[in-house]
Amino acid sequence: MSPRPLLPLVAALALTLTVACGSNPPPVARPTAPPPDSSSGSPTSTPTGSAGAGSDAGTAPTSTAVPSPPPTPTMSSDAISNDPLVNESTEAINQHSPLQPVFFALDSDQLDDVARHTIEDDAQVLKKYASWVITIEGHCDERGTAEYNLALGERRALAVKAYLQSLGLSADRFRTVSYGKEFPFDPGHAEASWAKNRRAHLMVTSK
Amino acid sequence: MMSKASSVIGLMTASTLVFAAPTLTRAARITSTPLQAQGQVQGTPTQPQQPQPPQQQTQLTLSLSGSGSHPRLAIPAFIGAGADGDLIAAAKTVADVLWDDLDFEQEFDLVSKDAAARVPVAQTVETQAYDRWQDLGADALVVASIQRAPTGFTIDVKLVGIRGADRQQQKFGQSYKGCVLTNARACAHFISDDMHLKIRGLDGVAQTHLAFTSDRDAQRLAGRSLSAQGQSKEIYISDYDGGNQYRVTANQSLNLGSSWAPDGRTLAYTSWINGYEDIYVSNIFQARPPFRPAAGDSHKQNQFSSWSPDGTKLAFASDRDGGWDIYVVNSDGTNLHNITNSHREGIINNTPTWSPSGTQIAFTSDRGGTNQIYIMGVDGTGLDKLTSDASSTDRPTWSPAPFNTIAYAAGPGPGHDIVLIDVTTRKTIVLTDQIGDNESPAFAPNGRHVAFRTSRYGKDQIAIVSNTGKIQRKVTDLGNNTSPSWARTPR
Repeated sequence: MSPRPLLPLVAALALTLTVACGSNPPPVARPTAPPPDSSSGSPTSTPTGSAGAGSDAGTAPTSTAVPSPPPTPTMSSDAISNDPLVNESTEAINQHSPLQPVFFALDSDQLDDVARHTIEDDAQVLKKYASWVITIEGHCDERGTAEYNLALGERRALAVKAYLQSLGLSADRFRTVSYGKEFPFDPGHAEASWAKNRRAHLMVTSK
Repeated sequence: MMSKASSVIGLMTASTLVFAAPTLTRAARITSTPLQAQGQVQGTPTQPQQPQPPQQQTQLTLSLSGSGSHPRLAIPAFIGAGADGDLIAAAKTVADVLWDDLDFEQEFDLVSKDAAARVPVAQTVETQAYDRWQDLGADALVVASIQRAPTGFTIDVKLVGIRGADRQQQKFGQSYKGCVLTNARACAHFISDDMHLKIRGLDGVAQTHLAFTSDRDAQRLAGRSLSAQGQSKEIYISDYDGGNQYRVTANQSLNLGSSWAPDGRTLAYTSWINGYEDIYVSNIFQARPPFRPAAGDSHKQNQFSSWSPDGTKLAFASDRDGGWDIYVVNSDGTNLHNITNSHREGIINNTPTWSPSGTQIAFTSDRGGTNQIYIMGVDGTGLDKLTSDASSTDRPTWSPAPFNTIAYAAGPGPGHDIVLIDVTTRKTIVLTDQIGDNESPAFAPNGRHVAFRTSRYGKDQIAIVSNTGKIQRKVTDLGNNTSPSWARTPR
């Protein structure tokens, strides 16, 4: 853990506490300000079990189809209280989630470069919304048996959780669950569909 | 073969049941109870179903098991319905289903329905077109008559010879009382099991049930993002042939991995209803909330339970100690213990199944790299690697006794096939034929068939293959259907 974010964090806390006194009802916790750009580089530590993306690297699709995170709020009370995500239900948030899915290669729970970048972006969102509790869902494509895929999906969820922990997020905020190949995102029967279905989703379960 | 079959029928002559008063009395006692119980289930499915007394095999002299031959039977249109529309319809259903039931076990060689339909209909035993049936190769005729009864209808079945001195000779006669118009199929299933038992010495499965998972009534799961679509999958049960399908869970979540308890009334299954996978045990005829013997939570997930043959214990997979291990727990939730003891995150032991004697458990493990099947004593000793396939194997299902085989899914992909391995000799046969993806085998209670999930019909469906590899039946049609389990009782 770097001490760098501490100063703005304290400032943001003081600011939000002041705001909270004048607004009702206050949420349990307020979002903290994002760290400055200079602190959002790739971390040097990697979680155990995710070393090397193997020859399947690059097969995961880009995440461009997923809604991009909301505009970064500025350090003002107005901006924070106007953040739609603060007042939305978890269901509504999950409908247009700022948390991007993480994609995997065939029969793999390894995180490639694209996957790690995605998780790093998600970690920034989760640092901002520090009260969110997340269920990480592991999913698989239709190849492989239903039973095996439940196990593989669990591994994928655990790999994402481990990397989020390595980025400084508390393990208490995450639960993992596997849905195997039961809930494909794309019902097709070719690689283009399969690639979208080998994924982990970060679902907001409470806030 | 034909003369052999005739001699088999001839053997039966010595112990022919005369269709007379004592037989009728006995048949009424045997048949009325189970069929009335079936009617209760149909009419008021929420009422508890009383366990059925096991059928006593009192006519061992009729057993022809071990003869190795297959008498050729013909089933003419049932007689006696007259102009009674309901009775005509019931007679048609029973004749049709009885043909399918008798064909299923391959103990009888049957004259096809089409060929039988071209033979003139006769209203008495004496006036049957025996020469025509003989030309069709039949050894015996199933002459059945139907009558109205106070609560439904009665069917009298006589098996009569066709050839030579056997012509018009009765080989078998039973009266089946207690049939109900609302479930004529159940009447046929009862008759089929009775005929298989008394004529061939075989425990038939026509009165058993399947459980499986289906998305036919899928509802969108709440609280999910557009990129994480999920549709509910519930558990359904049906007759063994796919008749009378109905839903038994309604929790709008994911439910799979059904496992019938030996009592034929209790189902264990894996459900995500609380957001994590856990084992639920439910009596499908009672409206009580399901019991959770492994008491999971989001950090102690449990899946793929399997009942011990005596119904006192469940084996299942759980990650409660870090890695995925195989556990055994009493059905009341006591004495939960880890039998594989890997305790290693990253190792996955999964899908346990009990040996017929209840002393061993087969399961999958990827401890050696790929997913393979292992056998271990219930006490955790005697680890034995059963499969060493080039590609992974999955979902072992141990046969009932007297067989000692394990069915599993295997294949280099993209599809899988159902394979049988003899546990003693380790010889394998592939039951399915490389068409589509074939997974999740479940043995019939007499070990002669395997139900499985297949994509061969486009969508995922439950189908049944004989233990010699002949595809017999497609059981489901509506939606996608997966994860079958075959009840061991009631018969």
